[in-house]
Amino acid sequence: MPELKVKGVTIVETFAEAFPMVGTRVIITAPTAEWAMISARTMTGFATSVIACGAEGGIERTLSKSETPDGRPGVAVLLFTMDANMLQTQLRNRVGQCVLTSPGSACYAGLKGEKSLKLGSSLRFFGDGWQMSKVIGGRRYWRIPVMGGEFVCEEKTGMTTKAVGGGNLLVVGKSHKAVLAACTRAVKAMAEVPDVITPFPGGIVRSGSKVGSKYAGQIASTNHAYAPGLKWHADSELPPSAEAVLEIVIDGLTADAVHEAMHEGLHAIAKGGAREGITHITAGNYGGNLGPHHFHLKEIVG
Amino acid sequence: MSALSFELKGRPEQRLDLSSLVPSRLDGLNRKEIEALSVATTREALTVGDAFKVKGRDVQNLHFVGTDDRCDKIGAKLAGGEIVVDGDVGMLLGAQMKRGKIAVDGSAGVSVGASMSGGEISVRRDVGDQAGGVAFGETFGMKGGFISIGGDAGSLLGERLRRGLIVVGGKAGDYAGGRMVAGTLLLRGGAGRYAGYGNRRGSLIFADKPRHLMPTYVDSGVMEFDYLRLLETWLREQGMRIRLGGRARRLMGDMAVLGKGEMLILE
Repeated sequence: MPELKVKGVTIVETFAEAFPMVGTRVIITAPTAEWAMISARTMTGFATSVIACGAEGGIERTLSKSETPDGRPGVAVLLFTMDANMLQTQLRNRVGQCVLTSPGSACYAGLKGEKSLKLGSSLRFFGDGWQMSKVIGGRRYWRIPVMGGEFVCEEKTGMTTKAVGGGNLLVVGKSHKAVLAACTRAVKAMAEVPDVITPFPGGIVRSGSKVGSKYAGQIASTNHAYAPGLKWHADSELPPSAEAVLEIVIDGLTADAVHEAMHEGLHAIAKGGAREGITHITAGNYGGNLGPHHFHLKEIVG
Repeated sequence: MSALSFELKGRPEQRLDLSSLVPSRLDGLNRKEIEALSVATTREALTVGDAFKVKGRDVQNLHFVGTDDRCDKIGAKLAGGEIVVDGDVGMLLGAQMKRGKIAVDGSAGVSVGASMSGGEISVRRDVGDQAGGVAFGETFGMKGGFISIGGDAGSLLGERLRRGLIVVGGKAGDYAGGRMVAGTLLLRGGAGRYAGYGNRRGSLIFADKPRHLMPTYVDSGVMEFDYLRLLETWLREQGMRIRLGGRARRLMGDMAVLGKGEMLILE
């Protein structure tokens, strides 16, 4: 079989193995776009991986004044976990500690899901009896008096059980600089795709992991097959030229959105061609037995 | 399919009870059966056919033409569909309605949308007393939905209002929001005396400082309300361009009762 190449970059014939997740979207608004972003960044801080953060979260996109319920600048945030209870806990804690506390913020539902999650209906108790509820157009909002004025928070937001976590691309190149540049480009391209986030720092993971470890109690450890410093090892999957590998992980509200993001990302990585030092684009999987969603790179390319 | 229309033949001798002319009741009836429905409110028998010229077929889309202030209970207990009224109407327009839309291109009598729980009523001109108030046999006034009044409203607007929004383009009478439990009144042209009397948790929004303020309302000063911005955005989506801005003076009351209600006076 001929090797699949895009602009000289080898697309390894493998697939990204992804998992079902539950996800939600909330909209954060503030007096300025800058403060909406500060609030959203704080809420999605320390939300790179469910392995130890409790949730995976990120900023989906910024919203103009005309797109938000209160006509102020806003940010759409996505949050994912493995089950609904955890998503509820994470949402309550993160909105309560990071959005409620943020100057001038308000928080609204961003998803009409098949199920709903409590938003203001649990945070209202912060109002200590002074909270007020208002129904506008069939949607209930809580007004909670706070030192900065009033925190407005919609009662509920939607949840989807059709979310997908762990879509990924592994980028192999001849220099760290080249791989970082290509991945940065890819994250930017993926940011344009609706319904997805790339939860890791700047969208990029430099320490992809495998399940388990030689140490008892360590649930994940370095993906040594892709660590360039261990190319001598029989387990290594890397070509001799590989100097760095970076990974982009994608979570999305639907499998289609993850597919589209991977497509955009893959082409953004390959854009500079092999000339820029990218040699391979591959993906992480566990042999296909763990996650039901398989994103085959040869289909992603098309 | 064309709207099912009822054209009033002339001023009726008696008040008409038109509560049976709603989609749920008319569905499945033929023209003859519809014309045979009684609309009488006295011992004199009177049917739809006696009072109205009936045309059209679509029961989800009702049209009243040439009605006057004796046409009571149009759209009462409405549970869906749309009613357009070309004329004035009597009392209890859309009372206890649950869903659907009623638009009146004229004035309405007392108790518009009394104890309604959902849906939308718009009256282009004036309405009588107790709009959004308490229907006979009910404990609470309006319990949800939206009433928009282009002209003036009578007294006791939103009496015992529990949920929902009433917007008045003109002036509201005395006791606006009297004994209201919750919900919102947006008063663009001010109100008479005793606005917010006995208000527990409701909001009265005034475009300008009201002339009469009850002494049982206490000033909390001016601040920003994202709630007003939400409301303004939603109203715009309904085709109503009303500038609320975000800043308002907040007075809390009625301190003679619970005291968790408010007046927001736009800055």
